[in-house]
Amino acid sequence: MKKQLLYSLCLLMLVAVPALAQMPHDAIYMPKKTICIAGMYGQSSWSQYWEGTLKRENFNIGTHTTRSLSVMPAIGISNRVNVILNLPYVWTSTSAGNLMGQEGFQDASAWLKIKALQYGGFSVNAIVGGSVPVSKYVPDFLPMSIGLQARTATGRLLLNYTHPSTGLYATAHGSYTWRSTIRIDRDAYQANERVYNTHEVSVPNMYDAAVRFGMLRRTWQTEVFAERMAALSGDDIRRNDMPFPTNNMQATQVGWYGKVQPRNIGLNARVAYVTSGRNAGQSTSYTVGVLFQLNVK
Amino acid sequence: MKPTYRTLVVISLALGLVSTGLISCDKTIEEPQRVGYAPADVDASAGTWKTYILTSPASVTVASPSATSSADYQAELTELRSKSTSLTPEQQEAVVYWGAGAVYRWNEIARELAARYNVPPASNADGKYPIPDAANPLADPKFPFANPPYTARALAYMSVAQYDALVAAWNYKYAFKRLAPSKVDATIRVALPVSALPAYPSEDAVVAAASAVVLKAMFPGEVAFIDAKVAEHRNSRQWAGMNVTSDLTAGADLGMQVGAKVMARARADGMSTSNNQTLTAGMIEAAKSRGQADIWLSQESPARPPMLPNYGAVSTWNFDRATLVKLRPGPAPQPGTEQFIKELDELKAIQKNQTREQARIANYWADGAGSYTPPGHWHRTAADAAHEAKFSEVRMARTLALVGTTLQDASVCCWETKFYYYTPRPQQFGLKTSVGVPNFPSYASGHSTFSAAAAIVLGTVFPNRADEFWAKAVEASDSRMYGLIHFRSDCSVGLECGKKIGSYAVLRGKADGSGL
Repeated sequence: MKKQLLYSLCLLMLVAVPALAQMPHDAIYMPKKTICIAGMYGQSSWSQYWEGTLKRENFNIGTHTTRSLSVMPAIGISNRVNVILNLPYVWTSTSAGNLMGQEGFQDASAWLKIKALQYGGFSVNAIVGGSVPVSKYVPDFLPMSIGLQARTATGRLLLNYTHPSTGLYATAHGSYTWRSTIRIDRDAYQANERVYNTHEVSVPNMYDAAVRFGMLRRTWQTEVFAERMAALSGDDIRRNDMPFPTNNMQATQVGWYGKVQPRNIGLNARVAYVTSGRNAGQSTSYTVGVLFQLNVK
Repeated sequence: MKPTYRTLVVISLALGLVSTGLISCDKTIEEPQRVGYAPADVDASAGTWKTYILTSPASVTVASPSATSSADYQAELTELRSKSTSLTPEQQEAVVYWGAGAVYRWNEIARELAARYNVPPASNADGKYPIPDAANPLADPKFPFANPPYTARALAYMSVAQYDALVAAWNYKYAFKRLAPSKVDATIRVALPVSALPAYPSEDAVVAAASAVVLKAMFPGEVAFIDAKVAEHRNSRQWAGMNVTSDLTAGADLGMQVGAKVMARARADGMSTSNNQTLTAGMIEAAKSRGQADIWLSQESPARPPMLPNYGAVSTWNFDRATLVKLRPGPAPQPGTEQFIKELDELKAIQKNQTREQARIANYWADGAGSYTPPGHWHRTAADAAHEAKFSEVRMARTLALVGTTLQDASVCCWETKFYYYTPRPQQFGLKTSVGVPNFPSYASGHSTFSAAAAIVLGTVFPNRADEFWAKAVEASDSRMYGLIHFRSDCSVGLECGKKIGSYAVLRGKADGSGL
């Protein structure tokens, strides 16, 4: 039985089909009854951060690094409707000081991507997503916490034009993310210049927006992008204090994404650099992934 | 789209909607609401209770009030009626807020100020840490750095000022016996419960004024904030129909007189030399000569001078200097000894496998930078307990003065011990932390000392909750091991010392004439 399964998998890998690994922020769709599973490793580091608007270093942190390993299946429900799932395991560490690194499964997310309109090379795509924390990691031991424990719900509108013959494309998208309140272990905390005498913390909602330019061919893709994410409210990190989930975190980053998927097996890679921010680290990040596509006919 | 897939889409969308519905969109933060009450006992004889600083209520003066039948008083009633007849939503909110209790709210305000100022200065380009300047309190770094010893002292002085002022106020209330306005004139509409307590001078104005004098001295950058609170508190008493203007004026005058006397003690209690860093070299030599081979070193980069190394010299409240020396515990286990290795191994095991419950306890009690500190945590516990027991203002102030003074006694004793032995932190032996490493020697644990002292006092004031408070103290003590910043000896010895320290406040409480 096992041998048979392995054999079938080997066969699958050799079958050349259009390979179309996709993300919740592109206009690429898995054909119906097709699944692409991406296994990705990501690493993001900063040695400078913005304390409010003040850019600084911290000798008691040195370089802060977040690593993650995630599994991300994309499922073709139909040619115009895809579901994308993601589950990351995250580690944090610092090169200096004595703050204990944290690790664990972070937040599971699910996205539904629908091609609402298509006119020639132009498409309008509606994407809704949500995430829930899947472990009881500590959200307010920042910057060591692996996440904020907030449940989220995101609505995104994505416009794309792909030149049919060359595969050159331009994408623009914007999203609104609602984030739930969270509960922390402490029953008092300071935020918005006052003390709240409760376990409950309001995590600000946020938006993001991005533009992407690239080329998508049958077996490869290359793209440059600029992304902006920002909370819609929230406070600044107090002078020389630690960050907190209520902070108005903002970041603008630029980067490159590429993918090769000659057959069922493919690779992708992404690099990004934060050019400006607020209550956030100036990170340089990279991700590499292995893509594996299978048909479930 | 094929019907099957359409169904799938519909199902996923429906699931999405349901899950969005489940996670309520309401992002309002619910805080426990405290509302006013008629006290279980007005403590009519509290004017005779023993004060801390006042030698007697006669050492402050209160003008004789006009009789309720006088034209002056009747004019005041007319003014009160007009102020209390129709309230804006903001005025109603202020009435409810301040109606929860004058001592209760000023304690909460003081904790908020402590939290706001509890951030260590950042190092500058030369790798030095600038010292907060009382003359320029809002510059960076802000003055004060309201760390645990600073906060313990600020809260102690405020609680003592509130208590002494209220004892004097009770004395004059029952000397003058002027009724509450609504008892003189039933047409005065009141928004809060009215007790049998005489209204002149107003206990609310007394507490606001006494608290403001102390807080303005302790947090000189917050004068405008404090003045606004005083004004709102005062106005709320008229919006609520509770006090005529002369009740409030006399109360404010009394509160300020007591506040000034209390601050006279504060200015001479040794705090001004508590950060004398030139003493540390001698302290280290003395600790070494007593056999402490490994001494504490700042774990921050750049190395930060220790927090208030001479705070151990600050005056105590409930015992004298000779007693403080007797309360100091024997030395900590020395690095290399069997006991030390055992305690270090215990921490290494926690670091390797810290459970979520251990992390929760460490976080709950961390009370680190940006918080109202462990003394603030115990003041809150005490104020909440007194509120739940429907204590009168004067009995609540007594509770907080007993707890506040024992917390400061604990901080002085603990700091004296810390700089006497100058022992290293676990981080000097390779451990990390899940809460942040305090910048002063390890032995004995401040959390343990504070918590035991406060729990012993609270257990006496609320005997039916004694076990609960002691369990909290033990948990606070353990939290420092779970957070990996204290050895077991630091914690167990801290608890023992704290217990003894608390017993001195208990002795005082038993002899203060309250009969409680």
